[in-house]
Order: sequence, then C-alpha cells, then structure tokens
Amino acid sequence: MQLVDDADGALDSWARFCDLSDELFGGAGDLSAGPRLAPVVADLCARGLAELLRDQFIRSLEGIFRSNAVKKFWQQFHPYCNSSAVERIKFCVQENWPEDILSKALEDICLEKNYQEKCVLALVHSLQSYEDRSPHRKSKALDCSSSLMPRYQLMVSSVLLTTLPLSFPEILNVYFKKKLEELNIMMAGLDGSDPFDNHDLLERNSTSAWHSEMDIDGQEPGISESRNLVKNIGKVVRDLRYLGFTSMTEDSYSSAIIWLLKSKVHELAGDDYRIPVLGCVKKWIQAVPLKFLHALLTYLGDSLDNESGSSGLKSPLASRPSSFPGIGVPSEALVRWHMRLEYFAYETLQDLRIGKLFEIIVDYPESSPAIEDLKQCLEYTGQHSKLVDSFISSLRYRLLTAGASTNDILHQYVSTIKALRTIDPTGVFLEAVGEPIRDYLRGRKDTIKCIVTMLTDGSGGNANGTGNAGDNLLEELNRDAENQENVDYDDHTNIDEKQAWLNAESWEPDPVEADPLKGSRNRRKIDILGLIVSIIGSKDQLVNEYRVMLAEKLLNKSDFDIDSDIRTLELLKIHFGESSMQKCEIMLNDLIDSKRTNSNIKTSLSKTSQTGTVQEETELSHEVLDATIISSNFWPPIQTEDLTVPASVDQLLSDYAKRFHQIKTPRKLLWKKNLGTVKLELQFEDRSMQFTVAPVHAAIIMQFQEKPSWTSKTLATAIGVPVDSLNRKISFWTSKGVLTESVGPDADDPTFTVVDSTSDFNKNSTVNQLSERFQITEEEGESSIASVEEQLRKEMTVYEMFCIAEPSYDKSLQQLQSFLSGLVRKAGDEGWIILAKEELKNGGPILRHSPHCVQ
Amino acid sequence: MKVKILQWHSVASWTWDAQDETCGICRMAFDGCCPDCKFPGDDCPLIWGSCNHAFHLHCILKWVNSQTSTPLCPMCRREWQFKG
Repeated sequence: MQLVDDADGALDSWARFCDLSDELFGGAGDLSAGPRLAPVVADLCARGLAELLRDQFIRSLEGIFRSNAVKKFWQQFHPYCNSSAVERIKFCVQENWPEDILSKALEDICLEKNYQEKCVLALVHSLQSYEDRSPHRKSKALDCSSSLMPRYQLMVSSVLLTTLPLSFPEILNVYFKKKLEELNIMMAGLDGSDPFDNHDLLERNSTSAWHSEMDIDGQEPGISESRNLVKNIGKVVRDLRYLGFTSMTEDSYSSAIIWLLKSKVHELAGDDYRIPVLGCVKKWIQAVPLKFLHALLTYLGDSLDNESGSSGLKSPLASRPSSFPGIGVPSEALVRWHMRLEYFAYETLQDLRIGKLFEIIVDYPESSPAIEDLKQCLEYTGQHSKLVDSFISSLRYRLLTAGASTNDILHQYVSTIKALRTIDPTGVFLEAVGEPIRDYLRGRKDTIKCIVTMLTDGSGGNANGTGNAGDNLLEELNRDAENQENVDYDDHTNIDEKQAWLNAESWEPDPVEADPLKGSRNRRKIDILGLIVSIIGSKDQLVNEYRVMLAEKLLNKSDFDIDSDIRTLELLKIHFGESSMQKCEIMLNDLIDSKRTNSNIKTSLSKTSQTGTVQEETELSHEVLDATIISSNFWPPIQTEDLTVPASVDQLLSDYAKRFHQIKTPRKLLWKKNLGTVKLELQFEDRSMQFTVAPVHAAIIMQFQEKPSWTSKTLATAIGVPVDSLNRKISFWTSKGVLTESVGPDADDPTFTVVDSTSDFNKNSTVNQLSERFQITEEEGESSIASVEEQLRKEMTVYEMFCIAEPSYDKSLQQLQSFLSGLVRKAGDEGWIILAKEELKNGGPILRHSPHCVQ
Repeated sequence: MKVKILQWHSVASWTWDAQDETCGICRMAFDGCCPDCKFPGDDCPLIWGSCNHAFHLHCILKWVNSQTSTPLCPMCRREWQFKG
C-alpha cells in the first residue's frame, strides 16, 4: 500500500514537474514558474529521481531548441546552401551578404539559448535548494545540479553541429574574409593619410582605444570606424562561441587572416624584385591582422585568461619578450599569433620568391632586394632544401637545355653564385645547385671558349650586350687580385691570440644539409673564378684556350696597343700562377719587341730610301708596312697558307726582312704572308672606298688593277692559293659590290669583273656613299690560329689507333649507326641530337650539339 | 680601279737560322730559350763556335766556365772558340 502510495505520489510529482517545465519553456520570457518548481523537484529528488529529472528536462529543452531555434537558424542560410557553386559567388558579391544574415540569425538563436539557459538555471536553483536542505545526500544531487549547465551547453552545440549544413564554415569564411578586407582597406586609408606616423598613432591610441570600448576622441574617424568593425566581428565571434562553434570560428577567422596575409604578400611582392618587401609585410602584420586579433581577443576577454592561465607552461616560441607598437605588453595568445603570422608571411614570401628564383637571378644585381628578402625568410623558416630542389628543377627546365647558349648559362651561373652567396655564405646550397649546371657545362664544347671570352672581354663576352656588367669575370679577377693582396697581408702578420680566440668562438657548424664528404666550410671559400675554372677541370685547358684567343687577337691587331691585354694577363698571372702564363707573356713580349723593332727598321729604311730615288718607282712607301714579329715556338700552331702577294708588296717585305737580318743578325725573318691586316682604299672613277681586310683579300683585289676581269682559276694561280679557297675569299668582294661574278663557258670557272662605275655599282648594291669603311666581321674572317679543338683532334689521332687495330671493327656502317643513335637516345634528354650525318674522315656520323635556338 | 694601300700589317716569325733544331746542351729549341731564361730572342741569344756548332749563349758559357782545362765543343770535341 505504502509502495502504491509512493508510486502515485511520484507519478503525481512527475506530472507536475512536466507541466511546470513546459510552462517554463513556453513562458516566452516569463520565469514565474521557476520558484514553483522547487518543491516538486525536491520531492522527486527525495525519491531518488534526480538524474531522471535532469535528463527529462534536458531532453525536452533539446526538442524545443531543435524545433524552434535551430530550424529557424539554418533556414536563414538555406538560400546559400541550396544554391549551386556559381550562384554562391553571386551571394558573395552582395555587399552585406553574410554579415546581415549571420548577425541576425545569431542574435535570434542566442536569445533563444539565453532564455533556455535561464530555464536551466531555474532548475539548478531548485536542485541546489533541495541539496541545501538535505546535506546527507548532497553528493549525488550536487552532481546533478552542477553538471546540468555543461550538459545543456553540450546539447546545444551537438544539436547545432549535427544539423550543420556543409557550407556553413564556408559562409563563416566569407564573412571573415570580407570583414578583414574591409578592415584592411580602412587601415590602408589610415596609412595613406599618415604613413610615417602610423606607429605613433597606434601607440597613442593603444591601450585606451583598444582595451576599453569607450572614449572615442572623434578626431580619428578611421580608428573609431575600425573599432566598431572589430566590435561587430567580436560580437559575431562571441555569439558563435556561445553556441559552441569555438573551433570552427577560430578556424574560420584564422584561415581568413592567413588568406588575407597571403594575398597581401602576393600583392606586395608581385613580380618586382627591385624593392624589398619583407619590411612592408611585417609592418602590415602589425598594422592589420595583429591589431584585429588583439582587439578581438580583448573583446572576448581571452587575453587575460590565457596570460594568467598558462604562465607555468610558457611556449618556447614566446620566450623572447616582444613588444608591439600600440598594444603594450602582449598576451601570450597574441605573441603566438604574431609568431604564426610572421612565419606564415616568411613562408609565403619565400615560396613566392623561390618559385621565381630563376627570374630573380636572371636580373641579379637589380634584384638583390628580393634576394635579401629571401635570405631573411630562409633564415627564419630554414627551408633551404626547398629552394635547392625548386631551383634545380627550374634550371633543368629552363636553362640546361639545348636551346640556351653557353654564354647565357655561364652568366646565369655567375649570377647564381653571387646571389646564393648572399643567401648562404657557407656555400652548401650553392654546391647543390651548382652541380647540375657544372655537369651540363662540362658537356658543352664551347664552355672553355666562353669562359675565356668572359675572362678577357670587357663586355662579358656577350655580343648582344644582354649580359650585365655584374657578370664580368674580368672584374672578378680584379677583385680576386685585391683580395689576394689583403690575404697575403693577413697571413704575414701573425694573428694575435685574441683574434684567434674570437675566430674560434664565432665558429658555427655546417648546416645539416652539408655534404660531409665535401669538406668543411673553412675550406669552402666561395670564389667565383675558382668555381668557373673547376667546371673545366684543370686550369691548363683554360690557359691553353686563352692563349689561342690571345694569339688570334694579337695577330689581328694593326697597331701595337696591348695595354689592356697586359693588364688582363697580369690578373690571370695572379690567379693561375706565373709559370702557367709564361707563354702568353712571351707572346705579349713579342708584340712589345715588334713595336720597337718595327720602328727601328722603318726609320732605317726611310733613311736609305731618301738617299736613293728608288722609292719613286715603287709606288709603295716603306711607311706602309708594319710587322708583328713573333717567337713562333711559344705561339699556338699557326696555319700558314701560301699566298703570292703583289710584287710591290713583296719587295717591301723582302726589304724589311733584309733590314731585320741586318739589325738582328744572325736572326732571319720568315713571313707569314697570309696573316695580318691590310687597310686599303679602292679608288674608282667617281668614288673611293676604304676597307680593312686580310692580306689574301688585298692580294685578290690588287690583281684587278692590272686586268679588270679574271677567271677564278687564273686568279688562283696568280695569287698562289687553291681555287676553292679563292672562291671563298673572293665572295667578300662580290658581296661588297666591288666585283661581279659571271659564269663563263666553263661552269667551274666563273669570271670576276670589277664594277667600276657608280651606275653599275648601283645595280648590285644599294650602298653608294662615296667613302666607306668596311671591316671584316668575325664570321667573314677565318681563324688563322688552329683552335684548341683542332689541336685536340690532332691529339686524338692517337685514339684512331684503337679503331684501326686488330681485330678490326667488322660491323656494318648501319650497325654502327644504330648503336650510335642508341647512345643518342640515351643522351637525348641532355640535348644531344644527330644533326648531320656527314662522314668524318674515318667514316662515322658526326655527333653534334644542336645549335642554339631561342632560349 | 686603283688600289691604294694605306697600311699593310703583316706577320712574321723570327728564327736563328741555325742548322739544327735544338741546343745540344739544354736540348731546348734554338728558337726557344735556355732553361734559365724567360724570354727568347734578344734575351737569350745563340752563339756559334769556330766549329760552326751553335748553342744558347748561356748554355755554352756555363759549359766553358765549368771546364778546368781548355774547353772543348760539346758536340765535336774540338777546342771551343767563339766564332768571331
């Protein structure tokens, strides 16, 4: 009976509890049912139904919340969520789009939640008052009352999260992006009006303006505007957190900040490498996102909590006390954010610069600010290996291809060395990056030649002038020479112990990426010349190539002006050692001696000619003849071709030689008649033209004085050169419109005739100025010095022996060809192709490097 | 048409015009220089003995000075006398 009574009482109380709670929930702001709840709750608790009661309460709250607030809340976003991707963009473009809806929806749902919380509190109070009255059962009921609120919170957020439309985070994202952009524009406006005073401004307004939301001074409309903006955002964030979207919100606004930062970096960095951007980015981080975060965190009241809460567990990142202009002592959360943002900025900029590193290095000396930025970024991020990988791949793709000229590759290499030397003075990464270039250059035939040209030519060896002055290796030689002197000086004076100690203290280990096999950094001095020379392998080859070039240059000189060459040689001597440049020195010495001897001989010749009257008959004066007298043993092999010069010139030559023999007895002169340069003037009836040509050209044209037309065969015999060579040379004159070629009865033996009058001349050429100077350009003039390559070929005849030896090569030419093309395929990615299947002397296809196309 | 030569800059090499290629003492080319010299030509001249054998001046002087008795030509062992 007792039991039935109890059960009835319990049922009764339960029904009343349910009624009361329904009244409470439906009360629309009326909480009067709250106090009446207490006795019912007490009764139920006394019956041990506290947990059941709590669960029931929460469940009914959940039902109401779900059906009323949540549904309404999400409905606000339905138009967006249900639309296609294209339509969504339209939404995003609307000015106030997520802002209005979001704040409205949040407000509504928060209101609802707030009300429900009050209901929960009412129950909590009832529970508590029961607990107070019955201390012996305290523990159990207290558990219920204190866990009620968290359970409610959990319920709210889980309901919301389970009903969350997929695109809600997207909406949040758009919202934060828009707001931040707005703030950014505002700040930019502030900056614009007061760019240099920005920090002051921030400082002045610092704590007062940002911490408390009051005192608007009115004189800074931008500031108050932005403060309002931040306040609005803060409200949204707070509401979202209130609903349990804490992490989603944080994700959203941090990704928005990061996104903004990224676009800012991209906007600032752009494709202009001539201005440093890192400073601007850092300043901007201080000005916009950090201020925003600070305001936000302050508004949310987080900063203080975090600061006091985590004092025991301080982040190592925050160990260095940094202060921000205008913010005072930053909270740890802010410091973390600062670190994070800065790191991200560094990384973004670094990625951007690394991606464009190739271009940056192409215009290196101008782009050094970008390099400097990159250096700082890398110091911070330590992602050097990223640079190495990305740069190597762009090198392979853009530089180390058959289309790039060796010159360009070398120039880029030099720039790379210089640029990477700035980024990483230890040279570890340069080593990694340089190796592919070096490997590639070793495969190019003209590498040595280009290097030597770069070494000796003031213009950096680049005929088009595209190479900039910074690439000039000659300059590098100069610097090298200066350094050498300094180093010598340092070495002689014994470094005192203090200095030695300082040196030892400043020692730093090699970066982790260093290849331990390559020696420590102390031995790894970055020396551009050394690096370039080591591409070739030995300095001997380089010196040899230089000698050939020098010889070519000296032999084509018509004056004896060799000052610049002497200078270069002196520099090279410092770098490569005196002994290896010995032969070159002798060559230059020959020129100096020649100048002296030449003037000696000429004065003595003119003396004798004054005494006799012979000179009148020979139309040529001795003044005309100059000679470069060489010590042929020390010059590279010189190709001598037979050439019969006109008798008058021959007379001059032999007079000169005789005089030389007299002065320098018993030495004799051996003329190399095909070498040298001749300046001559062609006098026609109505005009004259000046030319600077090779002796063979002069010999050819002089023959036409006697007879206006020659067949090529007779002319060839007259000047003592083979017919085919003559035909090659004579084309110079036909191309200049001085001679015309007409095919006579014999097709192999064309006739050349002088074009004497202007009318004829005009037919052949558009050039008709009275006096013109022509210079044989390099392509026309043939090299008189056996190139290194030719010399090499001669040396290679040794290897022919292997081919000729027993057992002889018994495969067919086709088999050989297929084997070779197999090799070509293998080497294909290195840019080697068979271009011509000309037969070599020993009968194989020539493997040629493809010609340079446009890079 | 007339051709007027303004300048004819030619190239020649010099030679000592000794009958032999190399100096019998240092085995270096006559047109080169002896091991002690840096520059050929005027700096390192040749000298002929009365026996018509030629040597680098520096080489034969060294030889002559190192001989205690009457110096002989290193090639033909006749008495060495500078050709006048």
